[in-house]
Amino acid sequence: MKPKRSWWVWLSIVMILGWAAGAGAADEINIGALNDMTGATSDVGKDYALGIAEAINYINDTGGINGKKIKLFQFDYGYRIPEALTKYSLFKQKKCVAVLGWGTGDTEALAPTVGKDKMPYISASYSGHLCDPKKAPYNLFFSTDYSTQARGLITAWFDKKWPKKPDFGKRKPRIVFAYMFASPFSSASIKAAEDQATMLGFEVGPKQDVSLFAIDTKSQILAMKDFKPDVVLHTNTVMSVAATIRDAYALELGADNIIVNWGFDEALPVLAGKAAEGAMGCAPWAFFGQDVKLMDKVKEYAQKFNPGIPLEKRTIHTIQAWANAMGLAEALKRADKAGDLTGEGILKKGFETMRNYEIGLGLAPVSFTPTDHRPQSKARIYEYKDGKFVMMDEVDLKARWPEKWEKEWLGW
Amino acid sequence: MQSWFGKWTIVLAVALLVGGCAAMTPQPTADTFKAPEVTLDSMEVAHYWGWWFFAKTVQPTKGTAGDYGAPLDLAFVFNVHNPNTFPVMLESLKFTVAFEDFDLNSLNSAETQWIPPGKTNQVRVHGMFDGQQSRLNLMLVGGQKLKEKGVDAFTQLEKWWTTIGEGKFPVNVKEGAAVFKADGLVRVSTFKGAYPAP
Repeated sequence: MKPKRSWWVWLSIVMILGWAAGAGAADEINIGALNDMTGATSDVGKDYALGIAEAINYINDTGGINGKKIKLFQFDYGYRIPEALTKYSLFKQKKCVAVLGWGTGDTEALAPTVGKDKMPYISASYSGHLCDPKKAPYNLFFSTDYSTQARGLITAWFDKKWPKKPDFGKRKPRIVFAYMFASPFSSASIKAAEDQATMLGFEVGPKQDVSLFAIDTKSQILAMKDFKPDVVLHTNTVMSVAATIRDAYALELGADNIIVNWGFDEALPVLAGKAAEGAMGCAPWAFFGQDVKLMDKVKEYAQKFNPGIPLEKRTIHTIQAWANAMGLAEALKRADKAGDLTGEGILKKGFETMRNYEIGLGLAPVSFTPTDHRPQSKARIYEYKDGKFVMMDEVDLKARWPEKWEKEWLGW
Repeated sequence: MQSWFGKWTIVLAVALLVGGCAAMTPQPTADTFKAPEVTLDSMEVAHYWGWWFFAKTVQPTKGTAGDYGAPLDLAFVFNVHNPNTFPVMLESLKFTVAFEDFDLNSLNSAETQWIPPGKTNQVRVHGMFDGQQSRLNLMLVGGQKLKEKGVDAFTQLEKWWTTIGEGKFPVNVKEGAAVFKADGLVRVSTFKGAYPAP
């Protein structure tokens, strides 16, 4: 006969188990993060990676996802695509519900897989190609896409700078594009840029192949001089852009510079010196330290978790990381509230319920719909003037060209 | 058969034992929680493949062609001292590695461990330095500095890869940050170091 356990034995067991359970981990949501801190885009990737970890700490400290903490699995993949694929498999094994990715290389390589897996993939590749839900349903980001940036930059220069040029009204403005032909990232917005320039009546000059690793671009500048451009559009990262505008300044090209976000950060004036004066760039977020909502927290968490890195060395890329992390957190909260933290739930009940959602951080309001994943139609244009980044224009492409925005421009 | 008094005595004893374990340990407060100290103990070449580079024009015997450079596996050993009277948990530790004054890698350890009060633990963090990745990094981040030095990326990498075992140049650990937790409180310790020590 089985002996009957007494109530006091059970009470003791319950007390011990209760104590042990209290010491264990609370409810957690796993998130993967792929970052480049050592590879070909580490000039901008390291600061972004620091920002991701700091933002997740902030989210956890302020209640997490409706009380659930985020467990972050963050890896440096060195911009090596095979490693990105391997780490993505690891994220799935760790039951991650979403991934904070990085560049165009890993994002495009993984896009079909994340679509099949229904894994929300929030990356720092802002390619317009990722905005069409028919082609890349699970790729998202919190930024102005590259194509909208390029269109906005060309439009802002055309509206604000061209009328002040001596040749205004006498001839067509002339534009040249400087970027690395072989790089999917650098060339992502060129088709849209060419379309916008043609639409506005520009004469488009010969494209110039400038490597992301260029430190000497004199031959490209000399080639540009034959065309006599009024403005040059740069779509590379900051090291290469700085080298190009420095050589253009030294060789007296005399053209203005308009730059897509990765080439326009706090390092530009440091690297390019006087040549950076007057450069215009698209910055969908505030620069580090500017007076906008949440910046006090960005600074606080940068100091708290990376006190060995002076704040003066931090850049706008930290803010970009916060935007993606905060945007993902909001989607997770909405999906969790709806009781559906599956990939499809996070997409449909999280991201795609956002209409003019304001994160702060100087980012324009964000919307996602089931048929359009362009987060915003406003390109915020800054000018580097007298040692400061000053906002000079905001071009709302949807408001200005509603039909083209709706029917023509999605996905490229 | 035991009396009700005996049963309650056992229950009370268990409660005291469980509760007492927690009560005996001094509780950390914002004022008493001192940041643990992290110091670089040593750096070693954990595995070594020499120096080589195969451009993607070279057809491999097996596998696919590509730009492949020799990997270098370095291990960094840190002493982590807990000066507190209560245990603390090391949650994560990260740092940048520079060969001479060229930043080449950012390493991170996310394995948690508890450090008893007053004791020193050792943490080993491995870093893989891939030849091609380091070359791209050097061309991008260190490109201008190399140009001023009058050296190309391949020459510089070969020099580092072939002399690192002899400690011919300083491997610097910088921008280090270790996150410690105790009873919901957080402390972050900064650290830096060089090996061989200057």
